[in-house]
Amino acid sequence: MAAAPSPASAPAPGPAPAAGFAPAAGEVYVYGIVGADHRLRPEHRGVGAPPTPVRALRRGELAAVVGGVPDGLRARRRDLLAHQELLLALAADGPVLPMRFGMVAPDEAAVLDQLATGHDRYLRALEPLRGRVELNVKALPVEMQDALAALVAGDRRIRRLRDELRRSPGYEASIRLGEAVAAGLAERAAESADRLLRGLAKLSDRWVRGPEVTGCVANLSFLVEEKAQAAFQAEVERFAAAHRDRVALRLTGPLPCYSFVADDTPAHGPRVPAGA
Amino acid sequence: MSTTTSTTAYNDEFVCVPRAGTLYDVLELILDRGMVIDVFVRVSLVGIEILKIDARIVVASVDTYLRFAEACNRLDLENDTRSTTVPEMFGGLGGGMVKKAGKKGLKRAASSVGDKVKGAIGAGGDEDDDEQDEEQEENGSGGKQSARRRASGSRARSDSRRPARSSSRSGSGK
Repeated sequence: MAAAPSPASAPAPGPAPAAGFAPAAGEVYVYGIVGADHRLRPEHRGVGAPPTPVRALRRGELAAVVGGVPDGLRARRRDLLAHQELLLALAADGPVLPMRFGMVAPDEAAVLDQLATGHDRYLRALEPLRGRVELNVKALPVEMQDALAALVAGDRRIRRLRDELRRSPGYEASIRLGEAVAAGLAERAAESADRLLRGLAKLSDRWVRGPEVTGCVANLSFLVEEKAQAAFQAEVERFAAAHRDRVALRLTGPLPCYSFVADDTPAHGPRVPAGA
Repeated sequence: MSTTTSTTAYNDEFVCVPRAGTLYDVLELILDRGMVIDVFVRVSLVGIEILKIDARIVVASVDTYLRFAEACNRLDLENDTRSTTVPEMFGGLGGGMVKKAGKKGLKRAASSVGDKVKGAIGAGGDEDDDEQDEEQEENGSGGKQSARRRASGSRARSDSRRPARSSSRSGSGK
């Protein structure tokens, strides 16, 4: 258990780095908010190289897990992973409200103030995350030969465009066909993603759509009970096998509950697309 | 599913076993989701929002290279005629070899992508590209590289970074 703030772990003032974040003395990196009795383990480490130690700042029934701010901190791979892995490790011992990567508080007092100000709201937001993880599913069009063949076989317009191109080859005709194929593949993938969502929503407490990602037709995050992960994964696998030529899926998890930190998320996520 | 985050691809162009230590598929969640407290400073917003775009490009491209490399690693060896490097590239399937293949594979499979990425990020790269940097030096590709070195030379590089990094990478074997 990390105890009172230790002055020794404050970031050492140093020369300004060439790029990235130049920490001022006393600043703290905030990883997440947990219950006041949440266990911090000696092996827990945060961002930086070498990885920095972390500690808890407690106020009321809450604690913020914080650490030093390394010189030149920015969104680099190593630190993104460190942020994520610490949050995941913490989640093994109880619910965690994960902060977005890179939140730096001016000093410990500011963190404690925030814990006091948002105390009840944070407590409410923590509870639904107990024993839960976030699983993310991305759906993409399938670009393999089989998918193309299935699309051409099933889409009269594309067959017509292909025949036109064969009769009179040319740039414009190629573009028209290519465009129609890309749109067709994306549409088929999106339809499948909607069907998948209906199945997965039943296996989760909540779900939300994530930010749009180039190349993906759906970006879905689910709040799933830890012990339901295997069933969830099995459903993704089953669905993928059954829709082999329609949609490619990427399942990532377990993740810290990034997408479920607000206590105002509707209990069951947005409305699932209509249809059975 | 393990206790470390991993990604499993289904029906993808490159069918992958669950891969840990990748960020490609969750970058937007780490950077755009999670709790925000207004009075705190957001590190990637300090100065330039561009940093976020840089991170996306660098992190995503490294992950893509690793995916390419893994896909290469699974190719039928008989079909690869570049025999001089095959034993080195495909000599084993352990985590170390995948990583090794990653270093070679990424330059082969995606060198043009890599050049674009480097062009886009300019001097903004960090040790994420260290492996690519080393690779380029081995391959003796000169000009752009030395410019990058110079550009990033003003930043302190501590030796302790490398072990820390490789230990986090080795977690992908679990």
